[in-house]
Amino acid sequence: MTAAGGGAALHDPDAADPAGGPAPAGLTARSRAPRLRTVLALTRVEASALARSPLILAGLLAGVAMVWPLTGQTEPLWWNVGWRIGSGQLVIGMTVLVAAQLAAGRARRNAMGDLYASFPATAGIRTAGHLAGLAGAAPASLLVIAVAAVVAHLHGAIGSPDIVVLAAGLLLVIAAGAAGVAIGTRFAHPLAGVLGALVLFVSSGQSHLPWSAGLWLYPWESFSDQLARLPGPLAGYPPAGAHAVELGGLAVLAGVVALAVTVRPARTRAWLAAPGVIAMAAVCLAGAVQLRPIPAADLNHLVSEVADPASVQRCTTASQVRYCLYPAFGSLLPSLEAPVSGVMAHVPGRPAQQLTIRQAVSLSLPDPGLTHGHPDQQVSQWVAQVQQAPGSASVAPASAVYLPVGNWPAAGGQLADAHFDLALAAAEWVVHLPGTSAGSGGRPPCVPFDQAREAVAIWLAVLATHPSASELQAGLGTGTGFFVVVQNTLVRTWNYPGMTGGSVMAAGGGAQNTATGYLLASAMASLPEQKVSHVLTDAWGRWLNWRTTDAQLAAALGLRIPGVPATQTLSPGKTIAPGPGSGTQNPLCTP
Amino acid sequence: MTPAPVQDGQLLRPATASRLSWLHALPLLVRPIALTMPWVTLITGCLVGTGYLAFLAHVGDSSRSPLGQGTVRLAFLPAVAALAFVTRAPFRPLTQTTPVPAWVAQAGHLLLATPVLAATCWAQLRIMGGTIPAHTLESPPAVYPLIAQLTGWCVVTVAVAACVDRSRYADLGGAVAVPVSFAAIALTWFAPVTARFLTQPPATARSVTITWYAVASAALALTGMAMRDQWRRYSRSRLRRP
Repeated sequence: MTAAGGGAALHDPDAADPAGGPAPAGLTARSRAPRLRTVLALTRVEASALARSPLILAGLLAGVAMVWPLTGQTEPLWWNVGWRIGSGQLVIGMTVLVAAQLAAGRARRNAMGDLYASFPATAGIRTAGHLAGLAGAAPASLLVIAVAAVVAHLHGAIGSPDIVVLAAGLLLVIAAGAAGVAIGTRFAHPLAGVLGALVLFVSSGQSHLPWSAGLWLYPWESFSDQLARLPGPLAGYPPAGAHAVELGGLAVLAGVVALAVTVRPARTRAWLAAPGVIAMAAVCLAGAVQLRPIPAADLNHLVSEVADPASVQRCTTASQVRYCLYPAFGSLLPSLEAPVSGVMAHVPGRPAQQLTIRQAVSLSLPDPGLTHGHPDQQVSQWVAQVQQAPGSASVAPASAVYLPVGNWPAAGGQLADAHFDLALAAAEWVVHLPGTSAGSGGRPPCVPFDQAREAVAIWLAVLATHPSASELQAGLGTGTGFFVVVQNTLVRTWNYPGMTGGSVMAAGGGAQNTATGYLLASAMASLPEQKVSHVLTDAWGRWLNWRTTDAQLAAALGLRIPGVPATQTLSPGKTIAPGPGSGTQNPLCTP
Repeated sequence: MTPAPVQDGQLLRPATASRLSWLHALPLLVRPIALTMPWVTLITGCLVGTGYLAFLAHVGDSSRSPLGQGTVRLAFLPAVAALAFVTRAPFRPLTQTTPVPAWVAQAGHLLLATPVLAATCWAQLRIMGGTIPAHTLESPPAVYPLIAQLTGWCVVTVAVAACVDRSRYADLGGAVAVPVSFAAIALTWFAPVTARFLTQPPATARSVTITWYAVASAALALTGMAMRDQWRRYSRSRLRRP
């Protein structure tokens, strides 16, 4: 009986069912038919309110802002991007949780329980409407997926999307909303929803939390995986299907709890036990599946891909350069060929060896998220293998330039910087830099101080990629610039575009360029290309000699040596010793 | 009858005296202000964050990984969220009719919340300090920029809550203030323009401290203005047609 019917319905603020047990048969027959219609009507209203909620719209913007850099900065790898989209879904999920909690706790928070109790819809029906109304959060979630997919596609995403991973992200939003409804039915204060959202947020940064072997059990891990470094998808990493089942089970469980809190008749509560038990069983089963170790055969394959990339990579030769890429990364080839071919086209002499440009994986082991459940001996073996991998070695061999997987930019200025970085690496290889004095094991890189070959290399890279003059000039730094110490001499350095991007690991670990080398190369670039080429071709072997100085090259080209105060000799008797504030001496690049 | 002529200032003095006469009632107000303070909300927020940090410290102790200031910032967020609900004045239309200014209750609540927040901050810093090994070569980073930052977060949140409390969304003051202030905090943290002044590094500890206290001062002034505002702003945008 309702207040509208004239009876005493205000026995309980949150329940419209009559006290003293189930409703009479006549009333039940009358109310059961429209009950579904009432739920559907409430669903429509709540879903509409949720879809238009400023909170969720703000969450949508924040989610897109969070996903954007993950899909648009470096080469998008679908086995990584699919999971990263979930980080954006996590943000939406937090806002949906707060909004759902506010909606579910509305009656109690506004002290309108008596008024709500006078409505035909019972508290249980209202809760069912809130739960079904979570469909209103789906458009925001789907929009994030769509935006991320379009951006990834436009940037030439590698691999193919995993629908299960994307669906798991949607389920995360729904589960968060269901949790919000469950919280709101019991705790009406808005702080409860905020705290629930913070718990969800904290659970995503579980690098602080224990048990990294069970990282997939958290609602959505964000920082502890190595998906961005993998050369291809790895089965069971992440266990997307089981995780989707876990999230679905949690959503059902939260819904059951919400209904159990609001539904009064004991019989109805008993009926709710069945889906509750099933949901709990599904969550436990999914958890057990996610804790299963990755098969040893798959990890063996991954480790061999990392430690011995030549065994799986596909190699292509163009312009006397060999490009070796993992099978999925063939689409990167044109982006790599352009700068390297540009360098090779301007090289006066033919190199004696063939340059190899190869992808490398910097896998970090031991990692409990990858290797849990396997014997220690086996894990140690994998660690030893990975430590010998080209990507993890501190110095690349002098015959190869390495490209760490997952670091190649997708577009924009960063891609232009990476092109220059690659062109310079190829040019330095051509002029035999850095030679055998390369930095290794934490030692600082060598410096081609007063060596003409450095300017030649920079000139080749500039010709191949045509970077903007202002960007090159910015590498000198502001004011007095940056200095290193070589043979007790302060040498002003030059940081080339893309130096800090980590897209390229130059042959031999690369050299630290000098400001004089850059300024001389800049002056060379202002001369007619034919004139410079003629001078270089006439005595190519001489310019490759590490003893040939910048002054000699400048004289041959009819240039004045750059007059920037780039070097300063330390006073006699003063040496640079390792220690705070003094740094260490960089070695000179020698053959 | 006409009043006797008075010198300049003679009329002002009784007016000023009557305007400040509510100060005499302050001792009587302490008890009701303390009773209407949302202690449960505030203490729940403080305890949740501190409990989370204590849990991480326990776990970190077993895995030998000390907690950083970033974790303390995260753990302090629930307390900041709870503070957003402290400025709510549920009976403002009634209290405005009394001789005591309506903002006294809100200001009193904020004053009462201050030692609780300070104690929470102190406890969390102690927990963090307890996880740092005694014989480390590197000295731990200074905490004064962190304290300034947390102070800034608190005052910004209070300012947002006080402003919302004077709007048509007053009933959801805290619930609106928390996401708004958290979004503002996130923006200042990640936006390159503001990160240069508010985040360490690239900013120095000294400049971070000065900037956050400057932000806190401005937010405090805004809070005062909002709390003294007599009327709620119910009007919609002027661009919208009725």
